[in-house]
Amino acid sequence: MAQGSGTRPPDEASTHRLQSVHDQLKDLIESLREQRERRVREGPPAPASAVSSPAEGPPLAPVPEVLDLEKRRLSADLAEARAELARLSGEEMRLRRQVADLEREHRRLSDDYVAVEEQNSELASLFVALERLHGSADRGDAMAAVQEIVVNMVGSEELGVYQLDRAGGLELAHGFGLAAARPDRYPPGDGTVARVAANGAPFVAGRGEASEDPDLTAAIPLRSGGRVAGVLAIWRLLGHKPSLTDLDQRLFSVLECHAGRWLSPAAE
Amino acid sequence: MDRKKILLVDDSSTVLLMEKMILSKSPYELVTACDGQDGYDKALAEKPDLILLDVVMPRMDGFEVCRRLRERDDTRGVPVIMVTTRGELNSVETGYQSGCTDYITKPINGLELISKVKSYLGD
Repeated sequence: MAQGSGTRPPDEASTHRLQSVHDQLKDLIESLREQRERRVREGPPAPASAVSSPAEGPPLAPVPEVLDLEKRRLSADLAEARAELARLSGEEMRLRRQVADLEREHRRLSDDYVAVEEQNSELASLFVALERLHGSADRGDAMAAVQEIVVNMVGSEELGVYQLDRAGGLELAHGFGLAAARPDRYPPGDGTVARVAANGAPFVAGRGEASEDPDLTAAIPLRSGGRVAGVLAIWRLLGHKPSLTDLDQRLFSVLECHAGRWLSPAAE
Repeated sequence: MDRKKILLVDDSSTVLLMEKMILSKSPYELVTACDGQDGYDKALAEKPDLILLDVVMPRMDGFEVCRRLRERDDTRGVPVIMVTTRGELNSVETGYQSGCTDYITKPINGLELISKVKSYLGD
Protein backbone atom coordinates (compact mmCIF):
# COMPACT_ATOMS: atom_id res chain seq x y z
CA MET A 1 0.00 0.00 0.00
CA ALA A 2 1.23 3.45 -0.83
CA GLN A 3 2.83 5.39 2.08
CA GLY A 4 2.07 8.82 0.76
CA SER A 5 1.82 10.82 -2.37
CA GLY A 6 4.25 13.63 -1.63
CA THR A 7 6.79 12.48 -4.22
CA ARG A 8 4.20 11.81 -7.02
CA PRO A 9 3.03 14.33 -9.66
CA PRO A 10 -0.33 16.15 -8.78
CA ASP A 11 -2.48 14.21 -11.33
CA GLU A 12 -1.33 10.81 -10.14
CA ALA A 13 -1.96 11.90 -6.54
CA SER A 14 -5.55 12.86 -7.32
CA THR A 15 -6.14 9.54 -9.00
CA HIS A 16 -4.68 7.69 -6.06
CA ARG A 17 -6.88 9.63 -3.61
CA LEU A 18 -10.03 8.92 -5.60
CA GLN A 19 -9.16 5.27 -5.76
CA SER A 20 -8.62 5.23 -2.03
CA VAL A 21 -11.98 6.88 -1.39
CA HIS A 22 -13.61 4.35 -3.66
CA ASP A 23 -11.98 1.44 -1.82
CA GLN A 24 -13.00 2.84 1.54
CA LEU A 25 -16.57 3.27 0.42
CA LYS A 26 -16.68 -0.28 -0.84
CA ASP A 27 -15.33 -1.62 2.42
CA LEU A 28 -17.80 0.51 4.37
CA ILE A 29 -20.74 -0.93 2.49
CA GLU A 30 -19.49 -4.47 3.14
CA SER A 31 -19.03 -3.79 6.84
CA LEU A 32 -22.52 -2.32 7.17
CA ARG A 33 -23.92 -5.43 5.52
CA GLU A 34 -22.08 -7.71 7.98
CA GLN A 35 -23.31 -5.61 10.90
CA ARG A 36 -26.87 -6.05 9.79
CA GLU A 37 -26.51 -9.80 9.45
CA ARG A 38 -24.85 -10.06 12.89
CA ARG A 39 -27.66 -7.99 14.40
CA VAL A 40 -30.17 -10.41 13.00
CA ARG A 41 -28.25 -13.45 14.37
CA GLU A 42 -26.99 -12.24 17.71
CA GLY A 43 -28.95 -9.21 18.83
CA PRO A 44 -27.19 -5.95 19.66
CA PRO A 45 -24.98 -4.78 16.87
CA ALA A 46 -21.25 -4.97 17.20
CA PRO A 47 -19.30 -1.72 17.02
CA ALA A 48 -18.58 -0.79 13.44
CA SER A 49 -14.97 -0.31 14.26
CA ALA A 50 -14.60 -4.02 15.19
CA VAL A 51 -15.92 -5.39 11.85
CA SER A 52 -12.84 -5.89 9.78
CA SER A 53 -10.70 -8.99 10.33
CA PRO A 54 -6.91 -8.91 10.67
CA ALA A 55 -6.63 -10.40 7.13
CA GLU A 56 -8.45 -7.43 5.56
CA GLY A 57 -6.31 -4.75 7.09
CA PRO A 58 -6.83 -2.10 9.78
CA PRO A 59 -10.40 -1.30 11.18
CA LEU A 60 -12.50 1.10 9.01
CA ALA A 61 -14.14 4.29 10.16
CA PRO A 62 -17.29 5.62 8.46
CA VAL A 63 -16.69 8.26 5.77
CA PRO A 64 -19.64 10.62 6.02
CA GLU A 65 -18.15 12.96 3.44
CA VAL A 66 -18.01 10.15 0.90
CA LEU A 67 -21.62 9.14 1.59
CA ASP A 68 -22.77 12.72 1.31
CA LEU A 69 -20.87 13.19 -1.93
CA GLU A 70 -22.38 10.04 -3.38
CA LYS A 71 -25.85 11.07 -2.26
CA ARG A 72 -25.49 14.46 -3.92
CA ARG A 73 -24.21 12.83 -7.12
CA LEU A 74 -27.13 10.42 -7.26
CA SER A 75 -29.61 13.23 -6.56
CA ALA A 76 -28.15 15.23 -9.43
CA ASP A 77 -28.36 12.21 -11.73
CA LEU A 78 -31.98 11.66 -10.73
CA ALA A 79 -32.88 15.29 -11.36
CA GLU A 80 -31.20 15.15 -14.75
CA ALA A 81 -33.04 11.94 -15.66
CA ARG A 82 -36.38 13.50 -14.62
CA ALA A 83 -35.68 16.58 -16.69
CA GLU A 84 -34.83 14.42 -19.70
CA LEU A 85 -38.00 12.38 -19.19
CA ALA A 86 -40.09 15.55 -19.07
CA ARG A 87 -38.41 16.78 -22.23
CA LEU A 88 -39.03 13.49 -24.06
CA SER A 89 -42.66 13.36 -22.88
CA GLY A 90 -43.18 16.84 -24.32
CA GLU A 91 -41.56 15.76 -27.57
CA GLU A 92 -43.81 12.70 -27.71
CA MET A 93 -46.91 14.88 -27.24
CA ARG A 94 -45.73 17.19 -30.00
CA LEU A 95 -45.14 14.29 -32.39
CA ARG A 96 -48.53 12.75 -31.57
CA ARG A 97 -50.22 16.06 -32.38
CA GLN A 98 -48.26 16.24 -35.62
CA VAL A 99 -49.33 12.72 -36.58
CA ALA A 100 -52.97 13.57 -35.82
CA ASP A 101 -52.70 16.70 -37.98
CA LEU A 102 -51.21 14.69 -40.83
CA GLU A 103 -53.94 12.06 -40.56
CA ARG A 104 -56.61 14.76 -40.66
CA GLU A 105 -54.99 16.32 -43.72
CA HIS A 106 -54.74 12.94 -45.40
CA ARG A 107 -58.44 12.29 -44.81
CA ARG A 108 -59.32 15.71 -46.18
CA LEU A 109 -57.23 15.17 -49.30
CA SER A 110 -58.74 11.72 -49.81
CA ASP A 111 -62.24 13.16 -49.53
CA ASP A 112 -61.34 15.93 -51.96
CA TYR A 113 -59.89 13.41 -54.41
CA VAL A 114 -63.04 11.30 -54.29
CA ALA A 115 -65.22 14.38 -54.79
CA VAL A 116 -63.16 15.53 -57.78
CA GLU A 117 -63.19 12.08 -59.35
CA GLU A 118 -66.95 11.81 -58.89
CA GLN A 119 -67.38 15.18 -60.51
CA ASN A 120 -65.13 14.11 -63.38
CA SER A 121 -67.14 10.94 -63.82
CA GLU A 122 -70.36 12.93 -63.87
CA LEU A 123 -69.03 15.36 -66.44
CA ALA A 124 -67.86 12.42 -68.54
CA SER A 125 -71.37 10.95 -68.42
CA LEU A 126 -72.94 14.21 -69.57
CA PHE A 127 -70.37 14.65 -72.32
CA VAL A 128 -70.93 11.10 -73.57
CA ALA A 129 -74.70 11.58 -73.62
CA LEU A 130 -74.37 14.81 -75.60
CA GLU A 131 -71.83 13.27 -77.94
CA ARG A 132 -74.08 10.31 -78.69
CA LEU A 133 -77.18 12.41 -79.26
CA HIS A 134 -75.45 14.95 -81.48
CA GLY A 135 -73.48 12.28 -83.28
CA SER A 136 -76.61 10.41 -84.37
CA ALA A 137 -76.87 10.13 -88.12
CA ASP A 138 -80.59 9.46 -88.30
CA ARG A 139 -83.71 8.88 -86.23
CA GLY A 140 -82.96 5.20 -85.70
CA ASP A 141 -79.48 6.00 -84.48
CA ALA A 142 -80.86 8.68 -82.17
CA MET A 143 -83.41 6.31 -80.66
CA ALA A 144 -80.64 3.76 -80.10
CA ALA A 145 -78.62 6.47 -78.41
CA VAL A 146 -81.53 7.35 -76.11
CA GLN A 147 -81.98 3.68 -75.27
CA GLU A 148 -78.27 3.22 -74.52
CA ILE A 149 -78.18 6.30 -72.34
CA VAL A 150 -81.20 5.23 -70.32
CA VAL A 151 -80.20 1.57 -70.02
CA ASN A 152 -76.47 1.94 -69.41
CA MET A 153 -76.13 5.33 -67.79
CA VAL A 154 -79.39 5.85 -65.90
CA GLY A 155 -79.90 2.15 -65.26
CA SER A 156 -83.33 1.12 -66.48
CA GLU A 157 -84.51 -1.90 -68.44
CA GLU A 158 -87.92 -0.62 -69.55
CA LEU A 159 -88.43 2.57 -71.53
CA GLY A 160 -90.55 4.01 -74.29
CA VAL A 161 -90.10 7.07 -76.49
CA TYR A 162 -93.45 8.54 -77.49
CA GLN A 163 -93.90 11.06 -80.28
CA LEU A 164 -96.55 13.77 -80.21
CA ASP A 165 -99.02 13.36 -83.04
CA ARG A 166 -101.13 16.01 -84.75
CA ALA A 167 -104.11 15.23 -82.54
CA GLY A 168 -102.09 15.96 -79.42
CA GLY A 169 -101.82 12.34 -78.40
CA LEU A 170 -98.67 10.28 -78.08
CA GLU A 171 -97.62 7.38 -80.30
CA LEU A 172 -94.91 4.90 -79.36
CA ALA A 173 -91.86 5.62 -81.54
CA HIS A 174 -89.34 3.32 -79.86
CA GLY A 175 -89.51 0.86 -76.97
CA PHE A 176 -87.15 -1.36 -75.02
CA GLY A 177 -88.15 -4.07 -72.57
CA LEU A 178 -91.72 -2.82 -72.47
CA ALA A 179 -94.15 -4.85 -70.42
CA ALA A 180 -97.36 -5.92 -72.16
CA ALA A 181 -99.37 -3.44 -70.09
CA ARG A 182 -97.57 -0.41 -71.50
CA PRO A 183 -99.71 1.39 -74.08
CA ASP A 184 -98.72 2.04 -77.67
CA ARG A 185 -100.67 5.25 -77.53
CA TYR A 186 -101.71 7.87 -74.99
CA PRO A 187 -104.79 9.94 -75.87
CA PRO A 188 -104.49 13.69 -75.15
CA GLY A 189 -104.56 14.40 -71.41
CA ASP A 190 -104.77 10.71 -70.50
CA GLY A 191 -102.49 10.10 -67.53
CA THR A 192 -99.15 11.36 -66.36
CA VAL A 193 -97.28 10.78 -69.63
CA ALA A 194 -99.83 12.75 -71.63
CA ARG A 195 -99.86 15.56 -69.05
CA VAL A 196 -96.07 15.85 -69.34
CA ALA A 197 -96.47 16.29 -73.08
CA ALA A 198 -99.14 18.93 -72.53
CA ASN A 199 -97.50 21.05 -69.85
CA GLY A 200 -93.83 20.32 -70.57
CA ALA A 201 -93.03 19.64 -66.91
CA PRO A 202 -91.00 16.47 -66.21
CA PHE A 203 -92.39 13.85 -63.87
CA VAL A 204 -90.10 11.97 -61.47
CA ALA A 205 -91.55 9.46 -59.02
CA GLY A 206 -91.21 10.56 -55.45
CA ARG A 207 -91.01 14.25 -56.32
CA GLY A 208 -94.26 16.15 -56.45
CA GLU A 209 -97.57 14.53 -57.28
CA ALA A 210 -97.82 10.78 -57.58
CA SER A 211 -98.71 9.13 -60.87
CA GLU A 212 -101.74 6.95 -61.50
CA ASP A 213 -99.19 4.45 -62.90
CA PRO A 214 -97.32 3.09 -59.85
CA ASP A 215 -94.56 1.59 -62.01
CA LEU A 216 -93.70 4.84 -63.78
CA THR A 217 -90.29 6.09 -62.63
CA ALA A 218 -89.97 9.18 -64.82
CA ALA A 219 -91.57 10.91 -67.80
CA ILE A 220 -89.35 13.47 -69.53
CA PRO A 221 -90.55 15.87 -72.22
CA LEU A 222 -88.39 15.78 -75.34
CA ARG A 223 -88.14 19.15 -77.03
CA SER A 224 -87.44 20.29 -80.56
CA GLY A 225 -87.00 23.97 -81.20
CA GLY A 226 -88.21 24.71 -77.68
CA ARG A 227 -91.51 22.89 -78.16
CA VAL A 228 -92.43 19.47 -76.79
CA ALA A 229 -92.16 16.90 -79.56
CA GLY A 230 -92.50 13.77 -77.46
CA VAL A 231 -92.04 12.10 -74.07
CA LEU A 232 -89.49 9.61 -72.76
CA ALA A 233 -91.19 7.28 -70.28
CA ILE A 234 -89.06 5.18 -67.96
CA TRP A 235 -90.48 2.37 -65.90
CA ARG A 236 -88.41 -0.32 -64.17
CA LEU A 237 -84.98 0.54 -62.85
CA LEU A 238 -82.32 -2.15 -62.75
CA GLY A 239 -82.59 -4.42 -59.70
CA HIS A 240 -79.43 -3.14 -58.07
CA LYS A 241 -80.35 0.54 -58.58
CA PRO A 242 -82.51 1.70 -55.68
CA SER A 243 -83.55 5.14 -56.99
CA LEU A 244 -82.72 7.99 -59.35
CA THR A 245 -79.78 10.23 -58.54
CA ASP A 246 -78.85 13.86 -59.17
CA LEU A 247 -76.77 12.73 -62.14
CA ASP A 248 -79.84 11.04 -63.58
CA GLN A 249 -81.70 14.35 -63.33
CA ARG A 250 -78.92 16.02 -65.28
CA LEU A 251 -79.01 13.30 -67.92
CA PHE A 252 -82.77 13.86 -68.20
CA SER A 253 -82.09 17.54 -68.87
CA VAL A 254 -79.66 16.59 -71.64
CA LEU A 255 -82.22 14.23 -73.15
CA GLU A 256 -84.97 16.83 -72.85
CA CYS A 257 -82.98 19.44 -74.72
CA HIS A 258 -81.21 17.32 -77.30
CA ALA A 259 -83.16 14.16 -78.08
CA GLY A 260 -86.41 15.72 -79.24
CA ARG A 261 -85.22 17.02 -82.59
CA TRP A 262 -85.45 13.50 -84.01
CA LEU A 263 -89.12 13.33 -83.08
CA SER A 264 -90.29 16.32 -85.10
CA PRO A 265 -92.12 15.48 -88.35
CA ALA A 266 -89.22 16.98 -90.39
CA ALA A 267 -86.86 14.39 -88.96
CA GLU A 268 -88.88 11.44 -90.19
CA MET B 1 -41.52 0.28 -71.40
CA ASP B 2 -44.71 -0.94 -73.14
CA ARG B 3 -47.96 0.31 -71.68
CA LYS B 4 -50.44 -2.16 -70.29
CA LYS B 5 -53.28 -2.83 -72.71
CA ILE B 6 -56.99 -3.03 -71.94
CA LEU B 7 -59.54 -4.53 -74.35
CA LEU B 8 -63.02 -2.96 -74.03
CA VAL B 9 -65.78 -5.17 -75.43
CA ASP B 10 -69.34 -3.84 -75.67
CA ASP B 11 -71.97 -3.56 -78.37
CA SER B 12 -72.99 -0.13 -77.02
CA SER B 13 -70.93 2.71 -78.43
CA THR B 14 -72.19 4.78 -75.50
CA VAL B 15 -70.63 2.40 -72.99
CA LEU B 16 -67.40 2.17 -74.98
CA LEU B 17 -67.17 5.94 -75.10
CA MET B 18 -67.87 6.13 -71.37
CA GLU B 19 -65.17 3.58 -70.54
CA LYS B 20 -62.68 5.37 -72.76
CA MET B 21 -63.49 8.70 -71.09
CA ILE B 22 -63.00 7.23 -67.62
CA LEU B 23 -59.77 5.45 -68.49
CA SER B 24 -58.32 8.13 -70.74
CA LYS B 25 -56.37 9.73 -67.88
CA SER B 26 -54.75 6.47 -66.92
CA PRO B 27 -51.52 5.17 -68.49
CA TYR B 28 -53.08 2.28 -70.40
CA GLU B 29 -53.49 1.58 -74.09
CA LEU B 30 -57.16 1.05 -74.96
CA VAL B 31 -58.51 -1.25 -77.68
CA THR B 32 -62.24 -1.62 -78.41
CA ALA B 33 -64.47 -4.32 -79.84
CA CYS B 34 -68.14 -3.95 -80.75
CA ASP B 35 -69.50 -7.46 -80.13
CA GLY B 36 -68.56 -10.83 -78.68
CA GLN B 37 -66.94 -12.32 -81.77
CA ASP B 38 -64.97 -9.14 -82.41
CA GLY B 39 -63.92 -9.15 -78.77
CA TYR B 40 -62.72 -12.75 -78.95
CA ASP B 41 -60.76 -12.12 -82.17
CA LYS B 42 -59.10 -9.02 -80.76
CA ALA B 43 -58.22 -10.77 -77.52
CA LEU B 44 -56.22 -13.28 -79.56
CA ALA B 45 -54.66 -10.64 -81.81
CA GLU B 46 -53.93 -7.87 -79.31
CA LYS B 47 -52.93 -9.96 -76.27
CA PRO B 48 -54.44 -7.48 -73.77
CA ASP B 49 -53.44 -7.40 -70.12
CA LEU B 50 -57.06 -6.93 -69.01
CA ILE B 51 -60.46 -7.31 -70.65
CA LEU B 52 -63.63 -5.38 -69.78
CA LEU B 53 -66.40 -7.56 -71.18
CA ASP B 54 -70.09 -6.83 -71.62
CA VAL B 55 -72.50 -9.73 -71.17
CA VAL B 56 -75.41 -9.26 -73.57
CA MET B 57 -73.97 -8.86 -77.06
CA PRO B 58 -74.78 -10.04 -80.57
CA ARG B 59 -72.93 -12.93 -82.25
CA MET B 60 -71.43 -14.15 -78.98
CA ASP B 61 -72.34 -13.19 -75.44
CA GLY B 62 -69.81 -12.33 -72.79
CA PHE B 63 -70.09 -15.66 -70.95
CA GLU B 64 -69.18 -17.56 -74.12
CA VAL B 65 -66.30 -15.22 -74.90
CA CYS B 66 -64.93 -15.77 -71.41
CA ARG B 67 -65.29 -19.56 -71.60
CA ARG B 68 -63.42 -19.68 -74.91
CA LEU B 69 -60.63 -17.45 -73.63
CA ARG B 70 -60.16 -19.73 -70.62
CA GLU B 71 -59.75 -22.75 -72.91
CA ARG B 72 -56.63 -21.31 -74.56
CA ASP B 73 -53.19 -21.30 -73.04
CA ASP B 74 -52.35 -17.85 -74.39
CA THR B 75 -55.45 -16.16 -72.92
CA ARG B 76 -56.27 -18.30 -69.89
CA GLY B 77 -54.50 -16.00 -67.46
CA VAL B 78 -55.85 -12.66 -68.68
CA PRO B 79 -58.06 -11.01 -66.05
CA VAL B 80 -61.62 -10.53 -67.29
CA ILE B 81 -63.98 -8.04 -65.65
CA MET B 82 -67.60 -8.55 -66.68
CA VAL B 83 -69.49 -5.30 -67.18
CA THR B 84 -73.15 -6.06 -66.74
CA THR B 85 -76.55 -4.56 -66.08
CA ARG B 86 -77.52 -7.84 -64.50
CA GLY B 87 -76.29 -7.53 -60.98
CA GLU B 88 -78.49 -10.29 -59.70
CA LEU B 89 -76.72 -13.09 -57.95
CA ASN B 90 -77.40 -15.78 -60.56
CA SER B 91 -75.89 -13.68 -63.32
CA VAL B 92 -72.82 -12.98 -61.24
CA GLU B 93 -72.51 -16.69 -60.48
CA THR B 94 -72.83 -17.53 -64.18
CA GLY B 95 -70.09 -15.05 -64.88
CA TYR B 96 -67.71 -16.64 -62.39
CA GLN B 97 -68.54 -20.11 -63.70
CA SER B 98 -67.62 -18.97 -67.19
CA GLY B 99 -64.24 -17.92 -65.84
CA CYS B 100 -64.47 -14.21 -65.25
CA THR B 101 -62.21 -12.72 -62.64
CA ASP B 102 -64.40 -9.91 -61.38
CA TYR B 103 -67.49 -7.91 -62.33
CA ILE B 104 -68.83 -4.39 -62.29
CA THR B 105 -72.43 -3.32 -62.73
CA LYS B 106 -73.89 -0.62 -64.92
CA PRO B 107 -74.38 2.29 -64.59
CA ILE B 108 -70.62 2.32 -64.38
CA ASN B 109 -69.15 4.19 -61.43
CA GLY B 110 -65.94 5.85 -62.62
CA LEU B 111 -64.10 5.54 -59.31
CA GLU B 112 -65.03 1.89 -58.96
CA LEU B 113 -63.89 1.11 -62.50
CA ILE B 114 -60.53 2.84 -62.05
CA SER B 115 -60.01 1.13 -58.71
CA LYS B 116 -60.69 -2.32 -60.13
CA VAL B 117 -58.48 -1.75 -63.17
CA LYS B 118 -55.61 -0.54 -60.98
CA SER B 119 -56.01 -3.55 -58.72
CA TYR B 120 -55.29 -5.83 -61.68
CA LEU B 121 -52.80 -3.73 -63.63
CA GLY B 122 -51.22 -1.43 -61.05
CA ASP B 123 -50.85 2.31 -61.41
